[in-house]
Amino acid sequence: MSTHHDIAVIGAGPAGGNAALVAARAGLDVVLLDEQPVPGGQVWRGKSPSIHSAPQTPESQSGDALRQALTESAVEQLTDARVWDIRRQDDRWALQVLRNGESHEVAASALILATGAREYVQPVPGWTTPGVIGLAGATALFKQSLTLPGTRTVVSGTGPLVFYVASEIRRLGGEVAAVVTPNTRGEWARALPAMAGQPRLLGRGALWVADLMLARVPILWGHAISEVFGGNSVTGVRARRLGENDPGQEFSADSVCVGHGLIPQIEAAQMLGVHILHDPALGGWVPEVQPDGATRVDGLYLTGDGCGIRGATAAALQGVLTGARVARDMGKSTHMPSLRPWRRAAKFGRAMTALSQPRASVAALTTDETIVCRCESLRRADILAEIAIGAQSTNAVKSGRRAGMGPCGGKYCQTAIAALIAAQTGKPLSEIAPPTPRPPLRPVPLSQAAGDFDYDDLPIPKPAPL
Amino acid sequence: MIRLVPNHAPAIRRSEKVHFTFDGQSYEGHVGESLVSALTRAGHLSLRGAPVDGAPRGAFCCMGLCQECAVIVDGQVVEACRTDVSADLVVERVR
Amino acid sequence: MTQAIPYDIAIIGGGIMGCATALRVAEGGMTAIVLDQGDLGQGASGVNAGTLSLQIKRVKLMPYALRGHHLWEQMGDAVGFAKTGGFTLAFTPREADMLHERQTLKAEAGAPIEFVANNRLRDAEPHLTHKVQAASFCAEDGYANSSLTGRYYRGRLQDANIPYREGCKVTAIKEGAPFELSTPQGTIRATRILLAAGAWLKPLAALLNVDLPVNARVNTVSVTERMPPLIRSVIGHATGLLTMKQKANGTVLIGGGWQGRGTPQEGRGTVDAHTVRPNLALAQYAVPALGSARVLRSWTGFEANVPDFYPLAGPLPGVPGAFVLGCVRGGYTIGPYIGQLMGDSILGREPEMPLFDPGRDFEKDTA
Ligand SMILES: Cc1cc2nc3c(=O)[nH]c(=O)nc-3n(C[C@H](O)[C@@H](O)[C@H](O)COP(=O)(O)OP(=O)(O)OC[C@H]3O[C@@H](n4cnc5c(N)ncnc54)[C@H](O)[C@@H]3O)c2cc1C
Ligand SMILES: Cc1cc2nc3c(=O)[nH]c(=O)nc-3n(C[C@H](O)[C@H](O)[C@H](O)COP(=O)(O)OP(=O)(O)OC[C@H]3O[C@@H](n4cnc5c(N)ncnc54)[C@H](O)[C@@H]3O)c2cc1C
Ligand code: FES
Repeated sequence: MSTHHDIAVIGAGPAGGNAALVAARAGLDVVLLDEQPVPGGQVWRGKSPSIHSAPQTPESQSGDALRQALTESAVEQLTDARVWDIRRQDDRWALQVLRNGESHEVAASALILATGAREYVQPVPGWTTPGVIGLAGATALFKQSLTLPGTRTVVSGTGPLVFYVASEIRRLGGEVAAVVTPNTRGEWARALPAMAGQPRLLGRGALWVADLMLARVPILWGHAISEVFGGNSVTGVRARRLGENDPGQEFSADSVCVGHGLIPQIEAAQMLGVHILHDPALGGWVPEVQPDGATRVDGLYLTGDGCGIRGATAAALQGVLTGARVARDMGKSTHMPSLRPWRRAAKFGRAMTALSQPRASVAALTTDETIVCRCESLRRADILAEIAIGAQSTNAVKSGRRAGMGPCGGKYCQTAIAALIAAQTGKPLSEIAPPTPRPPLRPVPLSQAAGDFDYDDLPIPKPAPL
Repeated sequence: MIRLVPNHAPAIRRSEKVHFTFDGQSYEGHVGESLVSALTRAGHLSLRGAPVDGAPRGAFCCMGLCQECAVIVDGQVVEACRTDVSADLVVERVR
Repeated sequence: MTQAIPYDIAIIGGGIMGCATALRVAEGGMTAIVLDQGDLGQGASGVNAGTLSLQIKRVKLMPYALRGHHLWEQMGDAVGFAKTGGFTLAFTPREADMLHERQTLKAEAGAPIEFVANNRLRDAEPHLTHKVQAASFCAEDGYANSSLTGRYYRGRLQDANIPYREGCKVTAIKEGAPFELSTPQGTIRATRILLAAGAWLKPLAALLNVDLPVNARVNTVSVTERMPPLIRSVIGHATGLLTMKQKANGTVLIGGGWQGRGTPQEGRGTVDAHTVRPNLALAQYAVPALGSARVLRSWTGFEANVPDFYPLAGPLPGVPGAFVLGCVRGGYTIGPYIGQLMGDSILGREPEMPLFDPGRDFEKDTA
C-alpha cells in the first residue's frame, strides 16, 4: 500500500511544522509525519490526554498555535507515525511508516527531514541508576505529562536548559535540591552580546535564575556531578568543582536531571547520502546543507536542529525558509523570505550551543569503571582496551565490542566513544566520524515490518549454482 | 517567600485514575499519561534489568530513543515512555 | 615517504582473503604489508551472515569448505565460533525435491548431511513451524561472528609483525620491479602484489589494465534484539532465501541473499525495504515466535563473483608478480583456508589443493 504526495516532511516540530505550512500554502500536497501523538516537536511537545487543563506556558502557547495552524491548513498530518526506513525509489522517496501496529509505505516527490535533536549526557559513575534522566528528557516529561522526575531533584548540566528544567520543577510544585552547572558565571557574561538579539529569551532566563536564588536553591557554577549514588534508584549525588582537586559536596535526592548539550539527529540524512561535517558550535556532526535546507541530493531538504543546534526560534524560521525553497524548486512562484531573522536567531542559538558543548573537564569525570555504552553495559575500560588493540574508528569499536549494536543503536554512546578514540590516538574529533548508520531508524517489531505474507508469493530465485 | 515562578501544580486537572499492573503489582495512573509518568509518580523507577548484567535501569531519554524503558505489553516489547496508561493494562518486565 | 627496501609483497584489501594470505606468506618468510581503503574487515568479511554451513556450499568447493570449517573451529572464541549443527527446511513438495537432489550431491562430495524425520526436527527445534515438509541436517554446520573479523586479524597481523595500513586506498599501481602503489599515505613499493579487494577487484585490476569480469551481489542481513532462546542450530531454507541463527547473546541474525541496492563503485550499498520485508516474513514463517522480536539493524555487503561462480585464485593474467584472490562463494567459510593455499602458491610451494586460474574461460563451467 502506498500513497503519493508532492512533499513528505518528517518531524512536526517548529522546523518541520512550518515547512509543511509554507509548502501547503503554496499549493503543494504535503504529508507531515511524526512519531509523537501530536505536532509540536521537542520544544513544543503537546500534552497527553491525561491533562484536562493546565496553565499555559510560552512553549504550550507556541505549540497550540502551530497545532491550530496545521489543523486549519491543507497539510495531511500523520501522527504516531514512526518512519523506520527511507529510500529513493526511481523518481520518488519511499518511506516505511509504522503506525497503529502496521507498516505502510508513504511516497513523495520531495522529502524534508526535520528530525531535530537528541541529547548528550557525559557518563559518570552511577548515571545508569534509575531516577537519572536527561535534562531535555525531563522537559518532555513536564510538557507531556506535567509529571515531576521525583520529589527532590538535582538538576545538572550545561547551557540554559539546566535553569529551565530547575524552574519547571518549581513551577510544577517540586523541590530542586541543587543546580549544578559546568558553566561559570564568566562564560555566561561572555555570551551576553550574542544573546542581546533575543531580549525575551534573555529575560526569561534571568527570571529562572533569580527565582532559584530567592528560593535559596544552591547553584554550583563551574561544577559537575561526579557520581550518582543509589542501587535500585537514586539516593543522592556528589558534585565537584571542575578542574580542581575538590572532594565535592553531597546532596541527597531521589532523582537527577542531567545533560550536556544536544546533538543533531543526522542518521536519516546520512543514510540518504548527505555528506557530514564536524562543527562543535553546532553540536558536533552536522549535514552539509544550505541555510534554506537544500542539499546536494536531488529532492532532499533538511531543516531545523537536525542540521545543527540553533534552537527553537531559529528552527521555526528555517522551516519557513525550507518550505519556500521546496515550493520554488517544485515550480511554485513563492515569496522567498529574507535570511536575516534566521541568521539573528541562529546567532543566539549558536551561543547557547557553545555554552552547552561537552567539555574535557566533565569528560574527565568518566572513570574506567563507568558504563559508557548503556545498552551493552560496556565500561570506559572496555572501550579503551579495544582502542589499545588497534580499533581506530567508531565502526571498529562497534564491530569489536558491540558498542552501538544494542537497542539504542549507538545514539547515547558514540559521542563519548569518539572522544575516547580522539584522546587515545591524537586524531582530531573531525576525523572520527560516527559509525555507519543502519536502518531501521527505530526498533521495529519483526511481524510489523514483515506485514502480510503469503508463502506462495515468495519469489523463488534461480537455484544457486551447485 | 516570594516566588518569581508560580506553583502551577494546584491548577492542573488530570483525567480519571485507573489501575494497571506492572510486574504483577498494581499501580494507579491517569488515563492517557505515559507508563513512565505514572510509574515515576508512584516512585517505581527501575523498569528493566540491563540486557548484559541485569543491573537496574529506568527511563532515561523520555523521547523513545534510548530503549532503557522497554517493557512488555501484549507480548510485545514497547517503550514505556511512549505507551499510554489505560484501565487494567497488564505490563510485564522484559526478562 | 618511500620506503627504502621494497616489501616482498603488498596485499591490497584487508578482508579475510588478504589477511589470511598475509599470515601464510609471512610464515614462509616473506615481508608483507596489508593495505585497506577502510578499516580491516569492514568489507564483506566483516558484515556477512557468518554462516559456516556445508549445506550451502558448492559441490566442487566442498573439500575446501570442510578444511575451512576445521580452521574456524581452531579460531574458536576469538571469532565467536559455535558448532551448532544446521537444518535446511523445505515447506513445499517442490522444495522437498530440490532439497533431496541438492543435499544428496553435497553429501556425496563429503559433507556429513543426512535427511531427518519431522519428530527429530521438532525435538531439536521446538519453536519451528509445523509446516516443514522435509529437512536435512549437517552436524558440522555452525556460525562465527563476522563483526570480529577486523579485530581478529588485526591481532593476528600484529602478532606476526605484519604491518597494515587502514584508510589507505590504492589509487594507482605502477608496474615494474618493484611495483609502486600510490596511496594517501604515500607510495608503497613491493616486489609482488596480491589483489584481494573483494567486490572492488574490477576497478583495482583496471589500474593494471586487466579486465576482470567481477560482478557484485548486494546481500542483506538483519538482526533482532536479544530474545529468549528460540533456535539452537543454524536454520536454512531449500531455496537459500533464508539463513538464520540465534547467537549466544540471544540476538537472531537473519539473511538469505536478498538484494539491496548500490554498487561497490558508489560506496556502500543500501538496504531495500521491499526485499527486507519478505526476508523477515520468511523468518517468522519458519519460527512464528520471532514475530514479536524487534529488528534493530539491517545492512548490506557486497559479495563478488565471476560468471562461473568459482573463485579467482592465482596469478593475474599478463602481469608478472601480480596475484589475485577473491570471488569465493561462501568466502567467509572458505577464506582462511584458501588464503593459505594462495600464500603457499605465492611462496612457490605446491598448494595442498588446486587453485582457480584467473585467466580461465568464465563462460564454461570448469567442474
Ligand atoms: C527532548 C528535548 C527537549 C527539548 N526541549 C527544549 C525546550 O524546552 N526549549 C528549547 O528551547 N529547546 C528544547 N530542545 C531543543 C530542540 O532541539 C529545539 O530547538 C526545537 O525543538 C528544534 O526544533 P526542530 O523542529 O528542529 O526539531 P524537533 O522539535 O526536535 O522536532 C523533530 C520531530 O521529529 C520527529 N521525528 C524524528 N525522527 C522521526 C522518525 N524517524 N519518525 C517520525 N518522527 C520523527 C520527532 O518526534 C520530533 O517531534 C529540546 C530538545 C530535545 C531533544
Ligand atoms: C551480506 C553477506 C553475507 C554473506 N554471508 C556469508 C555466509 O554466511 N557464509 C559465508 O561463508 N560467506 C558469506 N558471504 C561471503 C563472504 O563474506 C565473502 O566471500 C568474503 O568475506 C570475501 O572476502 P574478501 O576478503 O574477498 O572481500 P572483502 O571482505 O570485501 O575485503 C576486500 C577489502 O578490500 C578493500 N579494498 C577494496 N579496494 C581497495 C583499494 N583500492 N585499496 C585498498 N583496499 C581496497 C576493501 O576495503 C575491503 O576491506 C557473505 C557476503 C555478504 C556480502
Ligand atoms: S526513556 Fe528512552 S526510550 Fe523511553
